[in-house]
Amino acid sequence: MKEELFVSGRDIPNIDPFLNIWHWQIPIYLYLGGLAAGILFFAGIFTILNKEKEMPATVKWAPMLVPGALVIGLLMLFLDLKHQLFFWRLYTTVRFESPMSWGAWVLMAVTPLSFIWAATYIKEIRPEWNWKFNLLEKFEAFAVKNRKPMAWIFIVLSVVLGIYTGILLSAFNARPLWNNSILGPLFLVSGLSTGTAVIMWITKNPRERIIMSRIDLVLIIVELFFITHMMMGMLAGSSVQIAAAGLFLGGQFTVSFWVFVIVLGLVFPAVLEILELAGFKIPVAIPALLILFGGLVFRFIMVEAGQITRYLY
Amino acid sequence: MMENNRKDRSQNYLNPYFGGVLLGIVLILTFYITGRGLGASGAAKSTVVTTIQSVAPEYAKKSHYVSQFISDDNHPMNNWLVFEVLGVFAGAFLSGTLYGRLKPRVEHSPKITSKKRLVVALLGGLLFGFGSQVARGCTSGAALSGMAVLSFGGIITMMGIFGSAYLFSWIFKRLWI
Repeated sequence: MKEELFVSGRDIPNIDPFLNIWHWQIPIYLYLGGLAAGILFFAGIFTILNKEKEMPATVKWAPMLVPGALVIGLLMLFLDLKHQLFFWRLYTTVRFESPMSWGAWVLMAVTPLSFIWAATYIKEIRPEWNWKFNLLEKFEAFAVKNRKPMAWIFIVLSVVLGIYTGILLSAFNARPLWNNSILGPLFLVSGLSTGTAVIMWITKNPRERIIMSRIDLVLIIVELFFITHMMMGMLAGSSVQIAAAGLFLGGQFTVSFWVFVIVLGLVFPAVLEILELAGFKIPVAIPALLILFGGLVFRFIMVEAGQITRYLY
Repeated sequence: MMENNRKDRSQNYLNPYFGGVLLGIVLILTFYITGRGLGASGAAKSTVVTTIQSVAPEYAKKSHYVSQFISDDNHPMNNWLVFEVLGVFAGAFLSGTLYGRLKPRVEHSPKITSKKRLVVALLGGLLFGFGSQVARGCTSGAALSGMAVLSFGGIITMMGIFGSAYLFSWIFKRLWI
């Protein structure tokens, strides 16, 4: 009898019963990235449409939250890294086939731009603000003059950023729940929806709130359609995809997904927004908070559930 | 003036008889869809058990009462009553919106202050919560759902709750009229 030595990759710790190496940092990062993309997208759109005066919260005030959201999001990514001191290596290469490379470079572009955008509006809140150095004052004047080009860049980059938060998951071929092409657009729409929720929450302008409320309603309907479509696609797939969809259709994530994401995070706020458009008085914080909460739970569930699904049975 | 005021307020609410019919339909649908009745105090109990379990897990294991609701394969908050009560909040919010009652306020008799009303309501709630655990159900879980399936216990609970309400209203009526 010939003795043979078997080496199995499955001996690596954490591989069985399933590989779970992404924890709470990743969904928070995906959430904040999508939120930032949503706010910047609408800031860009309404700047190009010359609506700065009519839509002050969209163009000026909500984008002031974006640098904070992005910095906290990046901190989450950093916390997740195993070899934190080597994060800079992402910036030594450009790889079009790698979603992480896309994300690293998009964030490298969006984050400083969002700081500059917020800085150009500081003087509108505090007129006595002084940049101290002549160079900074000159740079501000330059940035204020170039808001339109920045707005165009925001529109493009925010779509890339929003889609990338989904692609980051869907690029994993070995995870049947994530590995579908609808996840990118779905995360983008969800991010846009959370962005509109923030804007309609902080605006003091009733007209602006109604406009954002209407946009949000459309986004919620599109999001519900994408979720349905994702489920349909998985149910029409191979048995691993059907098992992945089963996590939400009777499996262990059924209650959290349907109660917190679909009903409380999408349908109920949509009903409240419809009632508000019909003239009923509703404290805007309630639908806004529900949408924000639903979006966060959605990312937690997707990251958690996706890691359970796999091809090896 | 008083009459006028009452009329205005009555328009803020559903007709109570119609409301009762709706509640009955909800109860039938609940039995049909979930295979069990409605409840309310169970959600509060789940919340209390979860809180005790996270603050003092050792005590939760030792306590005869709390330990019976803790198991390794199910979180105490993963209970249909918890989600039902979330739905009750959402429904109450919708009803408040539709009837224009959606603003924070304390409902109380003009003869007492808001603070007194809140203190008395908290005491009453504590007593009712305790009673519901002794009686193994509250107005919804034991009386309403119990009577709907013609359970003798449900009828006794209903008589106990409303009978004692008649008795004690003589003492506590000054809090309302």
